[in-house]
This record gives sequence, C-alpha cells and structure tokens, in this order.
Amino acid sequence: MRICEVMDRDLTALSPDTTLSEAIEVLTRHRVSGIPVVDPSGRVLGFVSEKDIVKAALPGYFDYLQDPSFIPDYGQFQKRLKKIGQDPITKVMAKDVVSFSEEDSDFYVAITLIRNHLKRAPVVRDGILVGIVNRADLLERIMMEEEPPSFA
Amino acid sequence: MIVTVTLNPAIDEEYLVPEFRPGGWFRASKVQRTPGGKGINVSLVLKQLGLETAAMGFLAGFSGEYIRDVLRKAQITTNFLHVRGETRTNVYIVDEVGKIETGLAEPGPYISEDEIARFISNYERILKRTSLVVLGGSLPPGIPQDFYCELIRIARQRDIPTFIDAAGAPLLAALDEGPTYAKVDQRFMGSYEGVTLNSLDNLIEAVTRVHALGVEWVIASYRTYGNVFFTPEGIFLAEFDRKGIVSMFGSGESLVAGLILSGKEGMDTKERILFGMAAALENALHVEKGVRNRVAVEKLIPRISFEKLS
Repeated sequence: MRICEVMDRDLTALSPDTTLSEAIEVLTRHRVSGIPVVDPSGRVLGFVSEKDIVKAALPGYFDYLQDPSFIPDYGQFQKRLKKIGQDPITKVMAKDVVSFSEEDSDFYVAITLIRNHLKRAPVVRDGILVGIVNRADLLERIMMEEEPPSFA
Repeated sequence: MIVTVTLNPAIDEEYLVPEFRPGGWFRASKVQRTPGGKGINVSLVLKQLGLETAAMGFLAGFSGEYIRDVLRKAQITTNFLHVRGETRTNVYIVDEVGKIETGLAEPGPYISEDEIARFISNYERILKRTSLVVLGGSLPPGIPQDFYCELIRIARQRDIPTFIDAAGAPLLAALDEGPTYAKVDQRFMGSYEGVTLNSLDNLIEAVTRVHALGVEWVIASYRTYGNVFFTPEGIFLAEFDRKGIVSMFGSGESLVAGLILSGKEGMDTKERILFGMAAALENALHVEKGVRNRVAVEKLIPRISFEKLS
C-alpha cells in the first residue's frame, strides 16, 4: 500500500521565524508531538518535535547523569526553557529531515520510522509538504489489514 | 488545487421533528451530525464528485477535533489553525410534515490578532499551489467585517480567481473587491444599496451594479427552488420542481461545488448551470447533506428548467 493512502493530509507547519514559545503553543493546541518547518512556498526545511525542545532546555550536565531522578525539581529546566522561549525554532529543529514521498510503501515507511526512532515524519511532493505520516496510524492500518498468505 | 476557506466552521446538527412548533417538547425521529460551514461543505461535496481540495480556517476544542477527524477520514487536505474556545454547533430542525426548517446558530470562538496573522501566512503559503479559492460563511468574533476583502485582494494579486458564498456585511464588503464569483442568498439579504430584492427586475438592477465592480458571475437565489445566474454570457433563470424534496440543507454548497467542477472541466455556461442545479437538487432529495455521486447528479439534469432572461 502506498503511504498517501494512510497519511494525514494536514499541512500544519511553522515558518522559520516562529519562536520556540509559539511552537510549543502550536504543538499543544494541535495535540501533536512534532511539526514540520517550511519556507513560504511550503518546502520542508526542518522538523521540530517536543523532544528537540526538551533537549534544548535541559541543563548541559544532564547527559552526564545516569538517572534523571538526581534532578530535585524542574526549576532549572523551566528557567532555561523561558530563556530560550524567544529563540527562533531554526535553532532547535532537526535540519536533516527524514521525509517520504507519496508513492513510498507503508512497509518502507514503517521500517524507516523505527530505524530513526521517529513518531511523525513529513510526506513531500517535489520537496513541498503534502501530509504527515504517524507511527500510530501505520500501526492501526497494519493491525486492520488482512494477514498475508503464509508460505510455510 | 482548490482551496476552501471556512473561518467559522460548525458542527451541523440536523433534527427531524415532525410537526415541530416553538414551546413544545419533541422527540426527534432522526438526528444527523456532520461537519459544516460553507467552505467545508463545498470541500465535502467536491470530494463526493471526485475532486481534491484543501480546507482551511479556524477550529477549536472538542468540536474542532471532530471536524478535523471527519475531513481527515475523507482524505481532504487540511490546514486549520487551532484556537482557544470551542467551534460552534448549529442546530437545524426539519419538520417534514409542515415542510418548515428552523435554524439556530452560535457565534463561534474568538480569534485574536496573532491568530489572524498566522492564518494569513498559511493562506499566502497555500496560494502558491491554488487554482481557485472558495470563501464561505460567517465570520467568527474578532475577525474584521472586511476580512474577505483582504483574502480576495491577496488572491487577485496572484491571479487566482475567488468564489464567495456569504451574506450580510462581510459579503457586501467583499463585493467591492470584485471576487470572480459571488453567491448571494436573498434570505439573508433583503436589499442591496437601497434596492429591495423582491422582484426579478430589482434583482437585475442590483446585480448590474455588482457586475460593474468586476464580479463575473453572480448567483442569486430566486423563489424557493430557483436561482438567477448573471454570467458574462447573459442572465439565466434555472429552477427545479418540489417533487421528492426532503431538505434544502446544504443545497447551496452543492450548487457551488457543481459550478466549480463543471467550470474546471470546461463545460459551457448552460451546462455549468444545469450541472450545478442538478447537484443542488440531488442534495435536497435526502436528509444526508451532500450528493450521493456524480452519476446521481447527472441523472437529474433533465429535471432542471432553464431560461435565458436577457
């Protein structure tokens, strides 16, 4: 099956000059974990996910900690998050975007998402955003499909 | 791609209540919930006729999620801005016995200046891939009354034709900007620049003024089941009889969708009007909003009366 039959044809995207705090607002309001960043013609420039934002706001020493339970509260995290709130999202977005074309097979998309630990990824036509593919939607579709004949 | 703009979408709740009257307590014999708002309805009908569109506007809350979900399942491209509050619910009570429809509308969520700016930037982005813009329906609180003017102006700067289906002040303001097509619903517009729209002559007089503003096509409702079409080829009256009509709910948007599809396929003026009217009639033959399919629409073309007025 082609991915254009499963994808969500939603074009919600951010422009590169969007601030981090605006991006957080859009993520929560649209209830999604990540959104593509596009230029004025809809060309995908990057992808910003809540994971990227969390990573940007975590204290530098976080990577050295074995266990996040060493952090007493989120005071420092909050301070840093507010500090970077006015930064443009281009600072934290992933620039090397994994994207798909409408003709890609669902299996290829599923494998690529798993390999790259991604939940959502843009679908493009000539570089222009035409939809979004969600891991959960793919799982649902695979679950609903009839099992292929066994060759055992 | 065709883009439909619905600034104030709604969930349409249609209740079938035999012999409905105010002040009583009734049990509905059937209830139907569908996503609504003029632009969204046009997108849904065009999908039923086999044409891809993108729908945009503002959505909010639980009702907004429901609308997005239905559009998504219909594989319609969406680019809505989600805002605070709740998308409105419009209630329609259809009395099949007394043949009376009653409607109740909510104002819709408040749209802030920031959200308007964000919408405009989405609109400008999508116009890069757009062949026609359909603007439909009322404006939610916070949106200036002349907002359709701005949207028409932005489209015209890019040579993209526009089709407006609205009423009242937002429509009057938009006409000044010269949309390519304008659908005027007399039920919501008793007069235009002092001319009472109660007779065909008055209607022609009013529309002639609109034509001078650069509007190519004006479609004005006439009597219960008719429309007058003011086109570059002349003025035409098309009507259908009331046989089998259940509810006219959504018929206006089916007419718009029919005119758009037939225009895209290069039909001539008469064929376009007949196809559009047949789509409106097909919509009216069942409680479900929209048309069954293209074949069902085409079968109804012989039922449309067509007359050249001038």
